Amino acid sequence: MTRKYELLFVLKPTLVEEELQAKINYLKEILEKNGAVIAALQNMGTRKLAYQVEKFERGYYGVFYFEAPTDSILEVERNLRISEDFIKFMTVKYEKQKEIRHWNKLVEKFTPKAEVKTEEKPADTATTEETTEA
Amino acid sequence: MAPERRKYARKYCKYCEAKIEYIDYKDTKLLKQALSERYKIMPRRLTGTCKKHQEMVELSIKRARHTALIPYIIDRRSVVAHPFDQLQG
Repeated sequence: MTRKYELLFVLKPTLVEEELQAKINYLKEILEKNGAVIAALQNMGTRKLAYQVEKFERGYYGVFYFEAPTDSILEVERNLRISEDFIKFMTVKYEKQKEIRHWNKLVEKFTPKAEVKTEEKPADTATTEETTEA
Repeated sequence: MAPERRKYARKYCKYCEAKIEYIDYKDTKLLKQALSERYKIMPRRLTGTCKKHQEMVELSIKRARHTALIPYIIDRRSVVAHPFDQLQG
């Protein structure tokens, strides 16, 4: 059973450009290893945190949009918790019709090339979406 | 009975007016409407937001707080003039 997810992560501000790229690729590999199909990557850049996280004032924000089997999320988050460079992360599940429409819109917005999405399943019966928190 | 005069403009749901289908937690501009100046979630009776959107915005605010996009609280030490402008930079 695959679902649509988004994974927001915050990286340490002390990393240089190459290290950032390396970390993003590392996360991408983990996702793909666990059977995720990555749809888009949104770079929000370095921005000020609303409050201190591990004594950092700033952080590099990025968001992955992907489809993945439901049981892979735990494994991905376990890996993220091991790494010290990810100071924050959150996975959000997009399940209802409205949410999926929004997800598609976001993916379209952040994919550089034109890409046709596959038809979505009318899985509307499930309860409200849930966040898995660090 | 004399009809009571309405003193204020009628409240309405600003999210319905803008025809917003889903409130994204990353979109802090949208969330700002439902926050007080001390970043508390404003109640429905004061903002006039409809139930559907209030529930959505509550969830989004909590997510945004968790990811350090908006603060949980503003205390005397961390108070700044325009927090949202600074968060963008």
